[in-house]
Amino acid sequence: MTRCIFHIDLDAFFVSVEQALVPELLSKPVIVGGRPDRRGVVASASYEARAFGVRAGMPLAKAYRLCPRAIFLQGSFPRYRNASARFMRILADFSPCLEPMGLDEAYLDVTGCELYGSARQLALNIKERVKRELNLVVSVGIAGCKVVAKIASDSGKPGGLVEVAPGQEKGFLAPLPVARLPGVGRKTEQALRVMGITGIGQLAALPPGLVKSRFGAAGMMIHHYANGVDNRRVEPPGEAKSISRETTFAQDTLDRRLLQATLRYLCERVGAELRQHSKQARSITLKLRYADFETITRRLSSKEATNADEVIFAIVARLLDQALARKQKLVRLLGVEALNLVGDGKQLYLLDSMSQRMEHLDKAVDRIRKKYGFTSIQTGRTLALKDIFASDKGDYMLETPSLSR
Amino acid sequence: MKLSCLQENLSKGLSIVGRAVATRTTLPITQNVLIATDQSRLKLSATNLELAISCWIGARVEEEGAITIPARLLTEFISSLPNDHIDMALTQHILQLKCARFEARINGLDAEDFPPIPQVGDGIAAKIEVEALRQGISQVTFVAATEESRPVLTGVQVEFDGDKLTLAAADGFRLAVHSTALLSPVNEKSAIIIPARALNELNRFLTDQEEPVEITLNEQKSQVLFRLKNIEMVSQLIQGAFPSYSQLIPQSYVTRAVVDVAEFLRATRMASIFARDGSGIVRLAITPGAELTPGKMNISARAEEIGDNVGEIDALIDGEPAKIAFNAKYLSDVLAVLRQTQVALETTTPSSPGVIRPVGVDNYVHVIMPMFVQW
Repeated sequence: MTRCIFHIDLDAFFVSVEQALVPELLSKPVIVGGRPDRRGVVASASYEARAFGVRAGMPLAKAYRLCPRAIFLQGSFPRYRNASARFMRILADFSPCLEPMGLDEAYLDVTGCELYGSARQLALNIKERVKRELNLVVSVGIAGCKVVAKIASDSGKPGGLVEVAPGQEKGFLAPLPVARLPGVGRKTEQALRVMGITGIGQLAALPPGLVKSRFGAAGMMIHHYANGVDNRRVEPPGEAKSISRETTFAQDTLDRRLLQATLRYLCERVGAELRQHSKQARSITLKLRYADFETITRRLSSKEATNADEVIFAIVARLLDQALARKQKLVRLLGVEALNLVGDGKQLYLLDSMSQRMEHLDKAVDRIRKKYGFTSIQTGRTLALKDIFASDKGDYMLETPSLSR
Repeated sequence: MKLSCLQENLSKGLSIVGRAVATRTTLPITQNVLIATDQSRLKLSATNLELAISCWIGARVEEEGAITIPARLLTEFISSLPNDHIDMALTQHILQLKCARFEARINGLDAEDFPPIPQVGDGIAAKIEVEALRQGISQVTFVAATEESRPVLTGVQVEFDGDKLTLAAADGFRLAVHSTALLSPVNEKSAIIIPARALNELNRFLTDQEEPVEITLNEQKSQVLFRLKNIEMVSQLIQGAFPSYSQLIPQSYVTRAVVDVAEFLRATRMASIFARDGSGIVRLAITPGAELTPGKMNISARAEEIGDNVGEIDALIDGEPAKIAFNAKYLSDVLAVLRQTQVALETTTPSSPGVIRPVGVDNYVHVIMPMFVQW
């Protein structure tokens, strides 16, 4: 059956939310991410700023060099989360088959909704409602599969509406550069260029066997995409697959005390969220970015799932020591991720044990923090952060407020 | 040293003492096996300083002597030889081996440098039937903790009291206690903690033993000696206080379900396939029968977003309906070692310990803490 899939993407999301709030910011180069003299990266840039070459993910300092006139904002994650929730609620009114991708984009399967008008009409209705209720602009791509819908919405930005009729997928994709395909990163793009392939049409015309031998299973996926073939369904989200927290330091550092304090803070945040959702993690990952942007992740998995701050911290602290023992370089970013989550069902203890006591302790700390804020009760380790980070309503403000939950 | 022996005997002896050869060690000689003539036999010994195993095999000794040889090399070489006579001769530190048309020379280290195998014999001594000891070890040792955070829990408490021997192990989530009779009473009540690993090794040797096993402690209660026919094993003991477990065994129940062990085990293993993705949770729902219908126990598991299963077995139930969830592994571990055909599961509440007792005997009890789940 031919499906009708929308890819709906809010344009310059964080910036647009700020602009909707403060109309003076409209039509100006605006960058959300933080102050340009601080660390961190561009979380979102207005189209006026993008004209100067500013891109999301770029260090703020570089953005400042490209566009010194830009208005740099700290941003606020709760504000964006709130806007995102309202956006998703509007989409859910059009079809229950909704798959949010992050905060600002989503796939919507409207197959069988013809009763309410043509696909184009539905898309216009969505755009109109989002504009009216949230004062935000969306781009919509309409196609028979996810990958084409996504590329269609991208090519209509900002504010576009691009419909690719069934059968037209290959023709639509063919003239576009290969980098537009999801899954084609810088390395794949280069490897393709070496083969003389720059356009999606050229890639689509390659014999499948050749693509497979050069790029493996991932290559086959890209090849299918290039041909406008994508059998992925639009799937409403299941439960969270992982929980993570990370932060960039104000200055690259090797100060053990600061590293450990920050790591401990991130662990407590991850632990608290695990406990809030009655989840336990079987694997814990440490993410470490050095000053030269070399990024490594180290993971430890165990049969025993955990959500205890102390256990999570012990694991990542050891991983950090091992990583730094191997490569002693200034650290730019630390992150902690809990994954392989298992649900409820807690093994009860027969003998009074350390882990049982830790569990009681975590629970008590969670209750206190819920009422009085994070900084109201702390371990000696995180207390060391108080001289470094400002606190706001009993909570530490890390370096990228727009992304701090 | 000059002697000859059978390849089959030497190979078997090496595999027995090989269990005590050190793997990672700072004392390289403990990776060797000590070979020494002992009257008209050949004695093989190995030790990792925690566990020492000696084994005697028949040999025709022409000249006394002793040497230590790298255990792995020797074991692999001997086991690949044909089943024939092996002639051994020691010149300086080189052991020459000849068997059929094969020959090897291996450099050894001086036997004098080998750590002494402890002599144990001045404390209490007891004798026990092989079968009784095997059953006790099999039903208790697997419970012992594998992680080292509380060292006493990595061992099995062995209690001598009159003619009664009680083995107990716990890992924080479960407890197993097995008692059995000694062949003659000991005159002094005594409790020691033997590393679970040592008992597991001992259990291997018991399979082809028939004569009673001698258990001897040293006076300081720091070592235990197990003497079998042609095999001796000495283990260091774990020092510390074992938790007093008798109060952890519930004395009453609200629901008691008697079921067939094999059926229960099959249903549990089936559920554990589905429980693998969750934290290994199997859920038991126990429903008493009415006048004409028998009681039943439902054993179920579910894997999020994948599926679920449920198995039903007959149960003879005394008391109220009950629901309780366990880690599948803990349940199947114990069911797999029971020798009886029927077992009773006694429960009080969904969050208080479940007690498993084989029906027809009263020498074994197993306690498992449940998992707290949303029903």
